[in-house]
Amino acid sequence: MTAATSSSSLDLLASGGRGKSSRTLLRVVILLFIAGAAISSRLFSVIRFESIIHEFDPWFNFRATKYLVSHGFYNFWDWFDDRTWHPLGRVTGGTLYPGLMVTSGVIYHALRALTIPVDIRNICVLLAPAFSGLTAFAAYLLTNEMTTNSSAGLLAAAFMGIAPGYISRSVAGSYDNEAISIFLLVLTFYLWIKALKLGSMLWGAVCALFYGYMVASWGGYAFITCLLPLHAFVLVVMGRYSTRLYVSYCSWYALGTLASMQIPFVGFLPVKTSEHMPALGIFGFLQLMALLDYVRSALPSSRHFQTFLWAAAGGIFSVGLLGLVIATSAGFIAPWGGRFYSLWDTGYAKIHIPIIASVSEHQPTAWPAFFFDLNMLIWLFPAGVYLCFQELADEHVFVVVYAVLGSYFAGVMVRLMLTLTPVVCVSAAIAASQLLNNYLNLKSPKPEDHTVVEGVDVTATKKAKGGLKSTSKPVVGIYSLLSKGIVVASMTIYLLLFVLHCTWVTSNAYSSPSVVLASRMPDGSQHIIDDYREAYQWLRQNTKPDAKIMSWWDYGYQIGGMADRPTLVDNNTWNNTHIATVGKAMSSREEVSYPIMRQHEVDYVLIVFGGLLGYSGDDINKFLWMVRIAEGIWPDEIRERDYFTPRGEYRVDGEASETMKNSLMYKMSYYNYNALFPPGQAQDRVRGARLPEVGPTLNTLDEAFTSENWIIRIYKVKDLDNFDRDHAAAAAFDRGHKKKKGLKKRGPRVLRTE
Amino acid sequence: MRWLQGLLSVSLLSAGAFGAKKSTEERFKNFHAKALSSAPVKLNDASYKDLTAVPRDYTGVVLLTALEARFGCELCRQFQPEWELLSRSWTKGDKKGDSRIAFGTLDFSDGRETFVSLGLQTAPVLLLFPPTVGPHAAASAEPLRYDFNNGPQSAEQVHAWIARHTPDRPHPAIKRPFNWMKWFATATLLSGSVSLAYVAWPYVTPILGSRNVWAAISLISILLFTSGHMFNHIRNVPYIAGDGKGGISYFAGGFQNQYGMETQIVAAMYGILSFAAISLAVKVPRIADPKSQQLMVMIWSGVLFVMYSFLLSVFRIKNGGYPFSLPPFM
Repeated sequence: MTAATSSSSLDLLASGGRGKSSRTLLRVVILLFIAGAAISSRLFSVIRFESIIHEFDPWFNFRATKYLVSHGFYNFWDWFDDRTWHPLGRVTGGTLYPGLMVTSGVIYHALRALTIPVDIRNICVLLAPAFSGLTAFAAYLLTNEMTTNSSAGLLAAAFMGIAPGYISRSVAGSYDNEAISIFLLVLTFYLWIKALKLGSMLWGAVCALFYGYMVASWGGYAFITCLLPLHAFVLVVMGRYSTRLYVSYCSWYALGTLASMQIPFVGFLPVKTSEHMPALGIFGFLQLMALLDYVRSALPSSRHFQTFLWAAAGGIFSVGLLGLVIATSAGFIAPWGGRFYSLWDTGYAKIHIPIIASVSEHQPTAWPAFFFDLNMLIWLFPAGVYLCFQELADEHVFVVVYAVLGSYFAGVMVRLMLTLTPVVCVSAAIAASQLLNNYLNLKSPKPEDHTVVEGVDVTATKKAKGGLKSTSKPVVGIYSLLSKGIVVASMTIYLLLFVLHCTWVTSNAYSSPSVVLASRMPDGSQHIIDDYREAYQWLRQNTKPDAKIMSWWDYGYQIGGMADRPTLVDNNTWNNTHIATVGKAMSSREEVSYPIMRQHEVDYVLIVFGGLLGYSGDDINKFLWMVRIAEGIWPDEIRERDYFTPRGEYRVDGEASETMKNSLMYKMSYYNYNALFPPGQAQDRVRGARLPEVGPTLNTLDEAFTSENWIIRIYKVKDLDNFDRDHAAAAAFDRGHKKKKGLKKRGPRVLRTE
Repeated sequence: MRWLQGLLSVSLLSAGAFGAKKSTEERFKNFHAKALSSAPVKLNDASYKDLTAVPRDYTGVVLLTALEARFGCELCRQFQPEWELLSRSWTKGDKKGDSRIAFGTLDFSDGRETFVSLGLQTAPVLLLFPPTVGPHAAASAEPLRYDFNNGPQSAEQVHAWIARHTPDRPHPAIKRPFNWMKWFATATLLSGSVSLAYVAWPYVTPILGSRNVWAAISLISILLFTSGHMFNHIRNVPYIAGDGKGGISYFAGGFQNQYGMETQIVAAMYGILSFAAISLAVKVPRIADPKSQQLMVMIWSGVLFVMYSFLLSVFRIKNGGYPFSLPPFM
């Protein structure tokens, strides 16, 4: 990173007299340093914990990659997974974005071919850091298209390499689609700008190729699908229609759409759903513009006729828009998908799709999150956007459109901070390099030179219409060394602070695998809490290979990946009813839950309980979402209101509502918890509540396993009673006759003879 | 007027008394006939008893409400048009009475006794009395109560609830009357704005084509979004809150909380920082006079430094463990 902060000065030194080749060499060396910094800052988790896959979704990607590597590509393509969504199964090959797995598979086989023996797990763990180096390079290319100032690109690369907003999804072990897609996103944008500037079909085709790769990797491709047409539309409205635009857009759209339709999961969506309609509409609109442009050039120019042409274009555009609305309401075109729609109508998801609203990364973003993820870039960002208005060429319009749209999306959903980060890095780099370039210039102007020149220049520039007010005067330069010193010194402080901030954020917030937790002992040493893996290992070793595990959907992928056991629901939330079924089983009385579990052949129930350790991400805190999702399907049987006290509080102690106390989740969480404490002192450290003296009783489940710190508790579902009693009666009988157990033995056991 | 009201209630009372002796079939016919002329049927204590008497082979849906202004029941008044729409379109869609549902409204002023006997403290209350005899008879004669705790309900929501509790019967759909007024208003507004645009076009074009205007719009929207405006909009956060000691708390504690005013302060800080950076990068190098240039560099660098230091100190309020700071706000 030191290389990056000093990059502009180095660059300046290099340009002082040496040739072009040494500057290129210097630039390559700096980029390599940046890539090194980007990769090494993402290795905190590997150094602190171990080379392990993180969180939830990466476990599925890892499992799918292993399947791809061991079964080959065609089997992977046709993969039907019967170990998830029991008893439905999932057509995994047709419902995932294969880009990530295929990328790792290719790297794996390439390394094998080079006789480098490497474990597929290590490739998966290190894929995201490796691609972050490439992202930094792509940001360098994109920024160089925006400005003639060569140091801006290097600054952008450095920002991109270490900005926490991007690191959050690309630390080592975070093997998720975003790991490679941000690189593809930035590169596609670069290629689009390149194609637009040159009006080149070749660059348009390359852009389409990488767009296709992007579609294969991440659902966020819709961002590109909407942004490029918007850019084209804004250009047309600004009166900047050109053949360059026509050629680049049409080659990108035609080839890119064909490429995207090759992915089974996407299929015919590009011509059927609303998210893709802007791209199609602008494609048609550009054909119309091309025709009008041709007519205009062929006919003698008349003012009225031109007005007529423009009116015709506008009229046809509005008619097309109206047709789209009618086609959507008539059902020919699928309306906006829930996730996309909730970006516009922000209250929609909470009312209609609780499952989307329940995910923490779909929450709106509070301002500290922006500052946390971008630090000083957040205020350099508007400055850079402003600088784009200076020249306002086609590519600068792109930055402006991207900046406004990207910051809106990032404000609505925390997760989309990721798509905002590239444009923030690019425009902040433009601002920072402009600042440094002005003040890092050793040559000072002489005051008397300018008093004369000024008068001429002012009149000359005033003729240039449509510029910014602040740039109407010519650039003079900075006179005193003191001014230069102040600005350069303070910028250096800010940049160093930025590096410190990024390192601190990465090491403190984004490097926890969340499968393994860490805490500090009183003496400051690190204590590893490994309950998750302990429990999954227990499942792997002590249960039948086809034992069905019921848990809330968050843990589905981990159970599949680490314990290798079939699950009822997992993080691919494609079937809301099935998830609601699990939610109902968790939130109902035992008598209701037991038949549900029997019907789904559940053998074990796994829950996460943080009450002993103070681990707040546990199931009791997620419980209301289970209730809400279940209520969406069975409004008569589950009511959210019943889980609150009459005064509207969500409590777990003695005053909890009866429904709450009788729910399966509550019982499983606090079963036998009293035994840990002296009588009457049982305490839940997450919710700070003292629990009732008598703990809940469980009739239909047996406690099978509880991990060291009680984070994971696993229960075995009892089989039907041998004497055909109901479980409550049987359990009561057992409890009541515990002391007389000895009497049951009547003499030695005899083998049946008949 | 008083005597007329009294006469009316007496006559209705006697009607109710007669009604109680009538068979369930007759009672339903009676209510259905009334409903056809004006649904929902306005009830009083007697006819309420009549409607809900057992045995019954029909479903009674009764809204107990308090519409008079002196009760100040906002929810009752908001729900009333929806309720009338629902019962009217249900009755219209089911003229023969195949669904065997009778809708009734009991206002507090007409049915004080019923409110007292049911022990109701709040209004509105929507009760559904399932049939006790006949093909659709329910196990319990106890009425089901609709939950009003999520604010005003739409006719569709209540329709779905009723339909859920009356299976195997026709459920006539809700027909919202065509809103001519709204269409007319929209058309007028649209044509008005089109003609305004036509007239004002020559004056508006220079503004639309001005780079400064667009730069300002883009920067303001970026500042709004990056300072958490959408969070305020979605979560409906309070604009400002007290600190419990009589003072004002400008910054909410915690990383995931914020107040409306707080985001405005943050947006202003970002704006000042950006403006200082723009001035240093664009404006200052264009100042021809060395002395004033020096002064501007000092001022803007100072503003940038102090503002950034303040921003860091505000961020430390939100995130307790944040280790970095700049003077003077250490």
